[in-house]
Amino acid sequence: MTTLGKIFGPGTRHAVPLIVFLLIGFAAPLLAVIGFSFIPARTFELWQSWSLDNYIEIFNSTSYLSFLWSLGLAAITVLILAIICYPIAYGLARVFGKYSTLVTLLFTIPLFVSENVRLYGWVLFFIKNGVLLGTLKAWFGIEPDSWLFTSGIIVFGMVYVYLPFMLFPMTLGVSMVPDQTRDAAFDLGATRWQVFKEVELPLSMPGIMIGFLLSFVLAVGAIAEAKVLGGQQIIPISHDIEIAFTYAQNWPLGAALAVLLMLVVGTLVLFVLRRFDLDAILGRR
Amino acid sequence: MNSFKQSRRNFMQNSALMAAAFATTGVAGLRQAFADRSKELNILCWEGYNSAQVLDPFRESSGATVKAESLTNDPTMINRLRAGETNVWDLINVNNPWARKIMFPEKLIRPLDRAAMEPYFAKMAPDFKPPYKWAMDDSGEQLIGMAQRYGPYSFVVNTDKVSRATAEDQGWDLWNDPKNDKKYGILESDDWNVFNLCCIAGFDPFREHTPEEVTKFTETAKRVFKGAKVVGDIATMNQALVSGEIDFHMTGGTYSASPARADGAANIRAITPNKGPMEGGKGGISWIEITSVVNNPDVSPLAVQFLQYVQDPKVAHTVAFAEGTFNPVAQMGNPECFSLFTKEELDAIQYDSLEEEMARSVEYDIVPDYDKLLDIMTAAKREASGG
Repeated sequence: MTTLGKIFGPGTRHAVPLIVFLLIGFAAPLLAVIGFSFIPARTFELWQSWSLDNYIEIFNSTSYLSFLWSLGLAAITVLILAIICYPIAYGLARVFGKYSTLVTLLFTIPLFVSENVRLYGWVLFFIKNGVLLGTLKAWFGIEPDSWLFTSGIIVFGMVYVYLPFMLFPMTLGVSMVPDQTRDAAFDLGATRWQVFKEVELPLSMPGIMIGFLLSFVLAVGAIAEAKVLGGQQIIPISHDIEIAFTYAQNWPLGAALAVLLMLVVGTLVLFVLRRFDLDAILGRR
Repeated sequence: MNSFKQSRRNFMQNSALMAAAFATTGVAGLRQAFADRSKELNILCWEGYNSAQVLDPFRESSGATVKAESLTNDPTMINRLRAGETNVWDLINVNNPWARKIMFPEKLIRPLDRAAMEPYFAKMAPDFKPPYKWAMDDSGEQLIGMAQRYGPYSFVVNTDKVSRATAEDQGWDLWNDPKNDKKYGILESDDWNVFNLCCIAGFDPFREHTPEEVTKFTETAKRVFKGAKVVGDIATMNQALVSGEIDFHMTGGTYSASPARADGAANIRAITPNKGPMEGGKGGISWIEITSVVNNPDVSPLAVQFLQYVQDPKVAHTVAFAEGTFNPVAQMGNPECFSLFTKEELDAIQYDSLEEEMARSVEYDIVPDYDKLLDIMTAAKREASGG
């Protein structure tokens, strides 16, 4: 056996194609983005003098506003989703019985239609003289102000779009709570509230946490809701990145913003994972 | 099986060698195949030229594979060529100044045969008679592109809310009137938005700007974006105008208003201000597309053929009314082409006022300090977030 063969066992050697594939398909584009973030602004050549100028430029600009909007909107969305989804998830796991499949389907089917098309549908619903306001005007003679192109409607759009990503992991979490545990708690004299707080919530935490993380990470990168429903009344960070890569033709700046976004989201996710220790929660089951 | 004398290791090594040899010859072979480009044409263009209505007849008659990619921003297209895509594209279709001022001096495009192509200009509308400025290089010797679609592009109003006369008189000051807060939209088209903000601030966009003007631009950008009800694409603007969400929007013209007008919304009208801060006191800006042959080392012979094909009266009419937006074409100067336009089509492109609106407009040009102004505008847009 050669030295190389000794170092790399058969397992490693057989994994080589997959590792190469991942390096080319996953790591290389990511490294390219990181590399681009260090080259001079508005240039396209990767191999030149690298500097931190793009990052300094970002810290001297108002880009933090877009970061705050994205993080804020995502946080509100996740919070609203948690409140809306828990009862539905509870229903799907424990109450609806044979109708669960139907309800699940109702939540799943819209996913087959492109997000943009669904959002434009909501524009037609909310627009002045559209489905909602037009009907109110025609039937009741009232003409409230349009809700379109406001920050509230952006949150509505995000809650609507990311609902399944919170609901389904949460349903899984709720269904993980064994009936016996719940019954035992009741038998030992726990109140309904105590059962929820001491048994159901902790035991369904893995699903809830996955739902939180999934919908938060997706919502931080949201762009279509602010553009289509919000009429760009709010510029989230993903839109800033898009502007840098397209109109401004400033790929290095766009790359630096993207790297910062990855860092911010990555740090938050790691913090949450460490705080809640998902592995331990899952392992406890 | 005895004849197979190779050990497993030898077999693997030989196979690898063979694969490498095949790969090398394969690449060389492919390169050779690519060299024959007589049946292949790649077009980088604004939307319309990429439509099946325009391309399919050419595909059928030439038997060629025609690929067209549409973008809606000139600098992006130019940067694609700069980044080395000159060996991909055969034709590039952008607004007037880029061919003459940037692409030809940078050797991104190549000259055309004047004798063969200039007769087409002779048949166009009077403004395009040869030698047509934007189709020529700086020396006036080389023909570097062909003209077709054009139009005035300043702003659009709902005439039920703001009359044409008021809009033309008030011009860019519509955006300086505090009463109009949240009554207007902004069609997202960043280079044109920069032009318009300069006009609202009261100075000519197409020259270097003083620090005072840059400060004024910054204030104007912040105020205008804060006062906007909606920022979006053409469809969003037309929908917002028709539904009554907004009364007018900046950056717009026949190009953006024509789809709504063609749908019967005659109250949506492109406006060219009577006066403004540009050369000669003009207040409007117009665009003229120039299509040029890319300086591709292996350019398709079909490139010039395609330029001739779109000059045909019927094809020019199709280009004018290709999917997306509807626009006047220079070929309407030829009665044979003009007669193909119905009354409704002429109305959609506001042909009644086209000549006077073009006369009140300066032609699209390059803003020398565009990058700086765009960064200021992007920041202003961001800071206006949340109203």
